[in-house]
Amino acid sequence: MNIKEIAKKAGVSVATVSRVLNHPESVAPETKERILNVIEESEYTPNWFARGLNFNKTDTIGLLIPNILNPSYMEIAKGVEDVAHQKNYTTLLCNAENAVEKERKYVDSLQKRRVDGIVLVSSMLENEDVEGIKKQGIPVVLIGENKGDIKDVPIVRIDCEGAAYKAVRHLIDIGYKDIAIIYGTTPERENKRKIEGYIQALAEEGISEREEYIQEAANTIEGGYIAAKRLIDLKRRPRAIFTSSDLLAFGAIDAMKDHEIKVPEEVAFVGFDNIRMSNLIDPKLTTVEKPMHKMGVVGARLLFDIMDTKDEENNSREILLQSKLKIRKSCGHRERIGEIF
Amino acid sequence: MTLAIDFMGLKLKNPIIVAAGPWSRNGEMLNKAILAGAGAVVTETIVNEVNIDVRPRVAYHNGGVQNIRLYSDILLEEWEREIDIAKSHDGIVIASICAQTSSEISYIAGKMEKVGVDAIELGLASPMGEGLEVMAASAEKIYEMTRKVVNSVDIPVMVKLSQNVTNMSKVACAVEKAGGSAISAIDTVRCILGVDIKGRKPYLATYGGYSGPPIKPLGLASVATIAQSTKLPVCGIGGIETYENVLEYLMLGASAIQMGTALMLNGFEHIEAVKGDLEAWMLENGIEDLSEIRGAALSEIKSFDEIQVEPKVSHLSDICQRNDCEKCVKGCVYEAISKAGCSVIVNEDKCRGCGLCCDVCPDRILELIWP
Repeated sequence: MNIKEIAKKAGVSVATVSRVLNHPESVAPETKERILNVIEESEYTPNWFARGLNFNKTDTIGLLIPNILNPSYMEIAKGVEDVAHQKNYTTLLCNAENAVEKERKYVDSLQKRRVDGIVLVSSMLENEDVEGIKKQGIPVVLIGENKGDIKDVPIVRIDCEGAAYKAVRHLIDIGYKDIAIIYGTTPERENKRKIEGYIQALAEEGISEREEYIQEAANTIEGGYIAAKRLIDLKRRPRAIFTSSDLLAFGAIDAMKDHEIKVPEEVAFVGFDNIRMSNLIDPKLTTVEKPMHKMGVVGARLLFDIMDTKDEENNSREILLQSKLKIRKSCGHRERIGEIF
Repeated sequence: MTLAIDFMGLKLKNPIIVAAGPWSRNGEMLNKAILAGAGAVVTETIVNEVNIDVRPRVAYHNGGVQNIRLYSDILLEEWEREIDIAKSHDGIVIASICAQTSSEISYIAGKMEKVGVDAIELGLASPMGEGLEVMAASAEKIYEMTRKVVNSVDIPVMVKLSQNVTNMSKVACAVEKAGGSAISAIDTVRCILGVDIKGRKPYLATYGGYSGPPIKPLGLASVATIAQSTKLPVCGIGGIETYENVLEYLMLGASAIQMGTALMLNGFEHIEAVKGDLEAWMLENGIEDLSEIRGAALSEIKSFDEIQVEPKVSHLSDICQRNDCEKCVKGCVYEAISKAGCSVIVNEDKCRGCGLCCDVCPDRILELIWP
């Protein structure tokens, strides 16, 4: 059933049916009721793409995340979706899989679908890609730091360097000196900052950094396992490991178990993200609580601010959210009070 | 005679403001509070991300309340609608907001200004959920957050402070320097209300915020400190139940007060009762405007070297009627009071004039006098 058939069945013009759907206040109540009845009887739904062309608005937003298998991005996605749902918008989720070409392809597809806005999470795009999207009149918001130097786009982020510094500082305060870092290849910019924070904390204590203690890995559980094996095999095995994500920590702890190395007694761990599972593994993971859901919520809000107001001023907005060290058991910290607050 | 006050440039019909809390959790409740006669209402603390409530989360014991509820459970988008409902009867609505960074809190403040609230209260003093050290304990943090919000909105910004701090004066001055319009004090105080001895566990599952009459002395000291440190108007909070409590806060420098726990326990109709008593007191004492008594007791707070050392001793001003009461005897650590039946004898040589007997006497017939 299409709009023409509805019009015929109700004995009105196509324009009148269209007005009922789009400007119901402009139609006489009796006519409106008659047409609505026909619509209901025939279970007619308008063609949303056609509707989008007409209104220059599709009530959809695009959300690009680096990896759908990483739960931290799903928490961000949930935050974006929570706000979009409040605004009666649909969110199109695209999994860029840490590949800039795939990300570009999705952006192109989203533009063709005339989405009303796009949220990029830890994007690999360059400034000119984003300029291109904005030229189409589609607002863009960044969540997390992008790889390239994207300018004049609102961003929600955390201070990765400061957060990593605090995490490593915590390990030093417990008494560890041989502290390694396992960092993911992606997200590149953010993990680079985490390494900077790690080095700064060590330097402050006069602990010289050891090259073999800085291990790169694919940002997955498997990546963490492999990197941990390399650390286990070292002559001077580290006493503590900071990982740039919880997934890496899970893999690394698994490697410790396979080698019958006790966590935290022999090797302590601090992760990054605080995904839900970090509270469920044994020992419970001490980690940097990244406000992932909140980053999604605030990112979506910034996007709707631009979509609703077209206010250029919003484009320079940067919202820094606070991360927090969530002390649990894997770091070997003893004072219970630290776990409570 | 009028109860009306000017607070941060807002014209309040009376100085009783409904504090941020679960009783101000949505537009309907705020509206009810306004219709019940509140001079203004403060929303429950609005945050970017809502929390899930734990159960139970409120405990009541010996007049004090512990709560472990973290902020509003309504989304920012929903608050935009709720504020409309709250403002439907022209009441003054203040949005309490919280965040952990200046960019985040100024963003929420901007949102709230857009939906039409009359002022902002920065709720950075909660004793739970924000780490061992409350944000409001750091003068630098408070300065940074206040400054950023003040610069991003045109409505008045009030900052709520905490008793969980070693130097209240320093933090208050930071608010003033940052351009804040007022200070409200105090937020709840970190507590464990009590331990269920049979179950061997605290009443509630974690540290919480303490409110109600037991914290009034803490609130009074804080308000006096702020009033003696800054020129900002102060909104007194902490254990206010009666018109006398309101007067205590006003006399120590507050311009307005907030009530929370008393309303949670007695309902919004309690506002009208306190207002009525306040008016009666003003009539009786020939007070036309509350500004006449504001800060009246402040000058009586002295430094130790200003307090005159007077040779005062305890003295019985009337005949004791209580055969079996020994409170004055037991309460004298200097062993200066003895009692046989109703006959009370104060040994003036032993009495050191501490004053405790005067307060513990149920009939208050003991007083300190020059010998």
